[in-house]
Amino acid sequence: MNVRDTILSRLRETLRQPGLPFPAPESVALAPEERMTVTHAAGDRWALAERFAQELSALKGSCELLETAPEARLAILARLYRWMEEEQADRKTANAERPEDWDALCWPEALLEVEGLPLALQEMGFRRIEPTDLHDPQQRERIRLIRAGITSVEAAFASTGSFVVGSGGLKSRAASLTPFRHLALIPFSKLYPTGEAWLAEKRSAGELDACLRQNRNLSIITGPSKSADIEGNLTMGVHGPKVVHAILFDDGQR
Amino acid sequence: MQINIHAPYKDRVQQALGDSNLRAAVSKATDRMTDARLAAMGAIEGQTLRAQVRQMKEHVLRQWPDYLLQLEMNLRRNGCIVHWAEGIADAQEIVKDIALQNGADLVVKSKSMATEEIHLNQALEEAGLRVVETDLGEYIIQLADEPPSHIVAPVIHKRLEEIAEVFEEKLDMPPTREASKMTALARAKLRREFFDAGMGISGCNFAIAETGTICIVTNEGNGRMVSSMPRVYVAVMGIEKIVPTVEDAFLQLQALCRSATGQQLTVYCSMTSGPRQAGDADGPEQVHVVLLDNGRSGMLARGYGEALLCIRCGACLNVCPVYQEIGGHAYGGVYNGPIGAVISPALAPEIARFKELPHATSLCGACREACPVQIDLPRLLLDLRSDLVEQGAAPKLEGWGIKGYARVMSSRRMYEKLGKLASISSNLYANLSGGNIQFLPPPLSGWTAYRDFAPFAPKSFREWWRERKLQ
Repeated sequence: MNVRDTILSRLRETLRQPGLPFPAPESVALAPEERMTVTHAAGDRWALAERFAQELSALKGSCELLETAPEARLAILARLYRWMEEEQADRKTANAERPEDWDALCWPEALLEVEGLPLALQEMGFRRIEPTDLHDPQQRERIRLIRAGITSVEAAFASTGSFVVGSGGLKSRAASLTPFRHLALIPFSKLYPTGEAWLAEKRSAGELDACLRQNRNLSIITGPSKSADIEGNLTMGVHGPKVVHAILFDDGQR
Repeated sequence: MQINIHAPYKDRVQQALGDSNLRAAVSKATDRMTDARLAAMGAIEGQTLRAQVRQMKEHVLRQWPDYLLQLEMNLRRNGCIVHWAEGIADAQEIVKDIALQNGADLVVKSKSMATEEIHLNQALEEAGLRVVETDLGEYIIQLADEPPSHIVAPVIHKRLEEIAEVFEEKLDMPPTREASKMTALARAKLRREFFDAGMGISGCNFAIAETGTICIVTNEGNGRMVSSMPRVYVAVMGIEKIVPTVEDAFLQLQALCRSATGQQLTVYCSMTSGPRQAGDADGPEQVHVVLLDNGRSGMLARGYGEALLCIRCGACLNVCPVYQEIGGHAYGGVYNGPIGAVISPALAPEIARFKELPHATSLCGACREACPVQIDLPRLLLDLRSDLVEQGAAPKLEGWGIKGYARVMSSRRMYEKLGKLASISSNLYANLSGGNIQFLPPPLSGWTAYRDFAPFAPKSFREWWRERKLQ
């Protein structure tokens, strides 16, 4: 018998014993209708957006709420420009500007939810970097020093200030992970009161299984990277982005 | 000061008690984490959450083989390679083979108790690989060549000054007392490793049976890095870490975060369902999942199955009056605190290997109240003590003592006579030594080494009662 079968048959044999102190023979699965929603949030889209902003800000992230996608587009450009200036000011060297300051690690245009963004970035002088294969050493090296990443999200949860980023195709995982600053674009149609509400919608639409399997990596992100490992001192930006900024906008859907 | 975890138990405890830095660091951090947990669980229907996660996990263990098979099937369907490991040796061998077959010479690791349990770093290093821990706390203790001392906060035993010394000594960092500067240096150093590594290894906080998904939870982002950047990703998971559905995973995630650090959610929950597909921009080309038994099925058979509910949040460590005094290393095993005192002996082939640990407790019950899955840790500790006695692992003298006690207590005459004798002799001795008894011969010297021994009451209750009635 191989290891797998040995382990499984041992477990089966143990669980057949009548006097086993644990687990109780009558143990039943937690029924979906019983399962609690842990953190609550309610209200219309704007109320939810405000709650999201409040939660994310409490985690040292930041947020802007905008009424339309074109306003969001302007906000993205302004934010990127401001970040670039901040980076250069931080360097305190005579020639503070670096070529990668103008790079933004992006998801493809069709997935960014904001129409006309690529052209607008280009007009401002920003370069969109959309890697196609990060195991290619050249592409890998190309993204190493990029300081800003832009992605959209699968969903966002107002109650905890979290958003979910997917992967697969040209949705690089790196865009929300390796840069120092991450800009998350969240249309109101992707904003849910809670994680539980999002899961319930996906489940009832029969899309939950496919959502997990197609996005080979699905990450729930709640604020900027941090650690308190050094005697409880909170430090930000350990491996993931130190700066997380969400732009929420009313896309008029739903 | 570094505690020698291979020293005898009493020596380890003495070393820990003598280290004021350790005690200050541990008690400050555990108090902080406990306050955070109480606030986070108090802000929601915490008792309902505990009961529901327990119910969900208990059901998994009841249907354990079925869920394992469902998980295995779905992992395979997603393109993962599934390995089964009985114990430490074959688990090490499996991971080593994956590394060698893929020509990986640098491995980046995300914090994982399961890999600590199988001493994976040591095995890989012996095979000529370089292994880099990437959780900030784990990175620090790897530099200092120490094992972790807490399930979620591995460097809890060190103060800022001691950590700064590690950075100065091992990384040539200019002297600083700023945690942010140390973090920035670690970020820069480890970033290179993430980009260069051929293989990433993590544990698994939970695996979703219905979708074949491995979930890892971090605040720093290293979990996402190790599961996304290298070509090969290996997750080593204890076979009990299964949840049935995605919704169950989300429920447990929240119980874990709130109990471990008092967060609503940790910064990253990274859910991997297989290797990258053709045309994906990034992600590992191979995903291996090692299903590790290493004593877990035995634990169930020996009656310690309740401890398999543990979700490794560390809440019981933070409230434990023993852990707060001695920290993690004094426990001598990979797992420490109340849960460690149960699972270190229960996972071992012989519980007698960790025979002192079931006694490293005051049985106050704080751990049971803190546990997000309501594990009755004090009862399990008593069960272990009882098993140790049955296996003859308890000291002989203790056995004789209990037998003698039973004889005395079952005869009124003998009880009264010996009581009188104890009263007279202890009072005489106490008068001679000026009030309380400060020294007793072995084996009772263990008591008087730390505290005085009060003499018995000069009169027994019966004598006193009789006198009162006569008055």
